[in-house]
Amino acid sequence: MRAAIRRLFGIALTLIAVSVGMFWASASYARRAGNEHVSPFAAFPVFFNPHPSGVRDLALNAVQAIAHGGLPAVAARLSLARLGGAALPYVLPALDSLDPRSRERVALALTPVAVRMEVASSEELADGAQALLFWTRFWQDRAIDFRVASVRHLTTRLAERSIALRREDLIHVDTFALPTLIDALGRVETPDDVARVRRLNSVLAHITELPVACPPDASVADAQRLVEVWRDFWDLHGSEYTALDGPRRLAATFVETQYGKWLAAVLRGGLGRTQSGQRALDLVEQGLTTTSFLLFVGLGVGFPLGVVWTRFERRSHRLPTRVVSAIAGTALAAIPCATFVRMCAGPSAGLVSAILIVTITTAAWVSRHLARSTMSQSVSPIAAAFSVSAPLGATYPPFVLSAIVLVELIFQLPGLGRTAALSLAAGDVNAWMAASLSLASASLLLRHAADLIRPLTAQGDLASLP
Amino acid sequence: MNEPLSAKRRLALAAAGAALLVVLATVLAPLSPQLRAYSRGLVFAVLAGLSIMAVAFLVALPLGALAASGPRVIDWVLRFACDMVGSLPTVFVAAVFWAGTSSSTSFVCGLGVLRGLEQAWLLRCEIVRLEAEDPDAVPRGLGRTPLVAFLRRRMSAALGPLFVSASFSVAWLTALDAAVTQAGLRPPNAFATWGVLLGAPDPSPFAALLAAGSVAWLTVALHALFRPPGVA
Repeated sequence: MRAAIRRLFGIALTLIAVSVGMFWASASYARRAGNEHVSPFAAFPVFFNPHPSGVRDLALNAVQAIAHGGLPAVAARLSLARLGGAALPYVLPALDSLDPRSRERVALALTPVAVRMEVASSEELADGAQALLFWTRFWQDRAIDFRVASVRHLTTRLAERSIALRREDLIHVDTFALPTLIDALGRVETPDDVARVRRLNSVLAHITELPVACPPDASVADAQRLVEVWRDFWDLHGSEYTALDGPRRLAATFVETQYGKWLAAVLRGGLGRTQSGQRALDLVEQGLTTTSFLLFVGLGVGFPLGVVWTRFERRSHRLPTRVVSAIAGTALAAIPCATFVRMCAGPSAGLVSAILIVTITTAAWVSRHLARSTMSQSVSPIAAAFSVSAPLGATYPPFVLSAIVLVELIFQLPGLGRTAALSLAAGDVNAWMAASLSLASASLLLRHAADLIRPLTAQGDLASLP
Repeated sequence: MNEPLSAKRRLALAAAGAALLVVLATVLAPLSPQLRAYSRGLVFAVLAGLSIMAVAFLVALPLGALAASGPRVIDWVLRFACDMVGSLPTVFVAAVFWAGTSSSTSFVCGLGVLRGLEQAWLLRCEIVRLEAEDPDAVPRGLGRTPLVAFLRRRMSAALGPLFVSASFSVAWLTALDAAVTQAGLRPPNAFATWGVLLGAPDPSPFAALLAAGSVAWLTVALHALFRPPGVA
């Protein structure tokens, strides 16, 4: 029992390490020169973010840039307008620390926010002094509205029932309501959920100024897709609207990375979504049948065939037969023979040809290893096969999985290897991670199965095996 | 007359054969574009294959021996490294290496290290198995038994699986190359290799046949060359 737990713990630890390695591989591949496919998370560090930026940092940086003026102030004004209500609790109290000219510049930069919040028009805030006066009074009157508890209460009530006033109240706090609005989207299973999503979507689309619409006749599936769109948005931009304080800042050093974002998508369920919007788990389910079929037929037939092959070679007394057998075994283990078969096979023979190649390659590869194992000089090939199961179990999986990737690509079979290769080329991180982690799991299981065989045979007398 | 050739003679014959193949391909290259592509691929396959084998041996021999007979921590580290490396089809690791390295040399060295880890594990398992069969053997005795005795008795007998693995180096490299090309993961400015002939969407049958035949021939030659003492 203890050994089993230790082994399972080892597998889990290795899979975590492998996932880190594969993610690094994907990020490294995406960084190559001339790459056209850029992940939306490419701006984040891969594994560690030493300086995660929350809304407080972004807002105060923008204020400083606007106060100093010049070219950086243009980008800062845009940034402040995008941050919106979420930045007000940090920007408005900081106005007092600025000189009068800078105060007016910052107040003017907030005009688009006031217009979006429907609390003033751009004409009313055309002058710097007017804008400054407006925001000073606004904060005196409305600071109490910018509290998480009150915004959560407003959101819950809007989610329950549609009243225009509740919608306006949420629009008045602008992006400050984003975290609670995203939370309130919840699961979508019934028409009532669809109505809730429609109400919340209306506010979300307004305050983010994103063209995301929920039509009146939207189905449950439409609403589910809409929720996914908003969750993707939140995964990408959530930290920009959230204050990172204390433990949250510490967690953000990991969460606000490409790997952290991928892990969050995995934990959300379905192993994340691919670039085409499909669940990565569905992609794995589709590819698993072909790949596992190739793997188990190749292993189940190829391995015994390799043992028989070695046995035949050993028992043959004629030197030419042994030489021909050795040459054939070595040549057939060279995977590029797949190319010959592709030339000869028609399109309908894809799967059959692929199985034949994997089986023959496995048999040839196993037979060569058994023929050269010193163990096989003294005992039977079957005993030798069991005896060398641990080293072969370690080297066989990457060999056979590479062969499977090759045949899946050549015969265009919808397996995991082909999916992983194509998604790596396309920069589809979720699809790549899902497909390659499945392959890694298969490989690890094969290795540990081989490890388990060895102690069993070690207890018996190998020489007595046929 | 029927005595097997010595290791030195086999090595010399193999080197001469490889050199002859390269010279022949270079001479024939101007005759047609297909032969030129084959010739360039051959040069790469021979040089890269030899480099991979050399790097792999450099990694595998000390690491495998230390993991089998040295401190237990090295065994644990090697096992973990092999678990990591072996969990993924090598073709993807090769694609990432190739995209990330600036030169063919570092790509080939990276593949050699990868191959070395795999061979180190084969060597480690074989040494452990031989030690278990030998009643006089001292477990993890490296450092307590004389090094020369260890190398002569244990290492020479345990090299079989490592040599088999090494003999597939050229085939392994070409297969990876073909798969990387087939998947569209090949860097655009990469050296022209047999992977292009074998993995391109519409390969030229003549050049592909020639390349695949050469891979098989080279593998058989390496397999015959790497024959550990005492094995038929």
